[in-house]
Amino acid sequence: MTANGRKMSLRMFSRFSSAMAGLLVTQPAFAHEQAGTVGGLVSGLLHPLTGMDHLIAMVAVGIWGAQLGPPAIWILPITFPLVMALGGVLAVLRIPLPMPELVIALSALLLGAAVAMRLRLPFAAAAVIVAVFAIFHGHAHGAELPGSADPLAYGVGFVVATGLLHLCGITIGTLTRWPAGERLIQGLGVVIAVLGGYFLVLSLGAAV
Amino acid sequence: MNIRFGRGCLFVALLIAQPKMAEAHIVAARLGDFYAGALHPLTELQDLILWAAMGVLAGSLGAARGRWLVLLFPLGLLAGFTCGRAFSIVSLSPAADAGTILLLGLLLAAAIRLPTALLCAIAFLLAAMRGATNAGDLAPENDRLLFATGLACAGYASITLIMALTLAFRRADADSATAWRAVAIRAFGGWIAAIGLMMVGFAFAS
Repeated sequence: MTANGRKMSLRMFSRFSSAMAGLLVTQPAFAHEQAGTVGGLVSGLLHPLTGMDHLIAMVAVGIWGAQLGPPAIWILPITFPLVMALGGVLAVLRIPLPMPELVIALSALLLGAAVAMRLRLPFAAAAVIVAVFAIFHGHAHGAELPGSADPLAYGVGFVVATGLLHLCGITIGTLTRWPAGERLIQGLGVVIAVLGGYFLVLSLGAAV
Repeated sequence: MNIRFGRGCLFVALLIAQPKMAEAHIVAARLGDFYAGALHPLTELQDLILWAAMGVLAGSLGAARGRWLVLLFPLGLLAGFTCGRAFSIVSLSPAADAGTILLLGLLLAAAIRLPTALLCAIAFLLAAMRGATNAGDLAPENDRLLFATGLACAGYASITLIMALTLAFRRADADSATAWRAVAIRAFGGWIAAIGLMMVGFAFAS
């Protein structure tokens, strides 16, 4: 075989090998939303995490609960998901709530302000405020449930994600034991309130 | 040298491109239906949630009350499986599953000290419901006895393991309602109840 012939063969083999390797490492395109239980679970887990207004409000609830101390710190994790689920049921039953986006933004603003000011309301009053906001947040998440790939898996994902966000807030809230941590948390409350205000302005702009 | 390397690559690529089942496991042999029965409930989210909630509830009530479930739960699965086959139950209403999830979640969240007899009755009924549902998915070519044995063994192993883990987590000093371990178990119940509540709503909406 001539030198040119060898070069040609070598090129052919290398291209063929590349093509075979390309075929062997093929994966599904995943151009569409995931299907089945995994798809439902992933969309449920991501739903509370991808909405910044939801995320900061849930963390703020946990921090405020930690600031309020007992019994809020241990009653809120038990009852909060249940009250949120109540909002989810309203959405599933197609019962609308007034101005949901506006109230969700308002929740971030007020809960952030409560954390920043170390607002110490009586437990019953704090529980009512949190419950009202929880219903609106649950409504927003629950509206996606009937259309999800697997409604049960979506419900599991959304409840777990919300609970973990809440837990994250409570963990951050334990910093209140130290003076520097308390100031840090109050600063975080200001950031949450400012973001809530921003979302509120956006919601008002959309409403107008 | 390069041509040899190219040929070698081509040969390896062709070998990899012809994958076959290994047939190295007994699941493909005559005991396969046992594994099918054992694995079937672990592929259903309803079973996973309900079994976990039942195990945690029994474990949270202590070993003295929960130990009856080690026997009753697999027996309930077998009873439900037998009834499911006898009466050709394909599946139970989604509202029944959702209602059971809600009930177990609420019992856990409220930390109600259920009497042993009531706990056993709930566990047996739940197991019977799930046994009947699992029987509905049995294919004609499956061996019923092996499938049912696998299902009962999975029920026995799962409920015992979950109860033991809960007992170990709870510890004897977690009897106070505000101890963080007790709160964590009740929070888990709150999550389960929330899932059940939404599914009840969904069952009635659809």
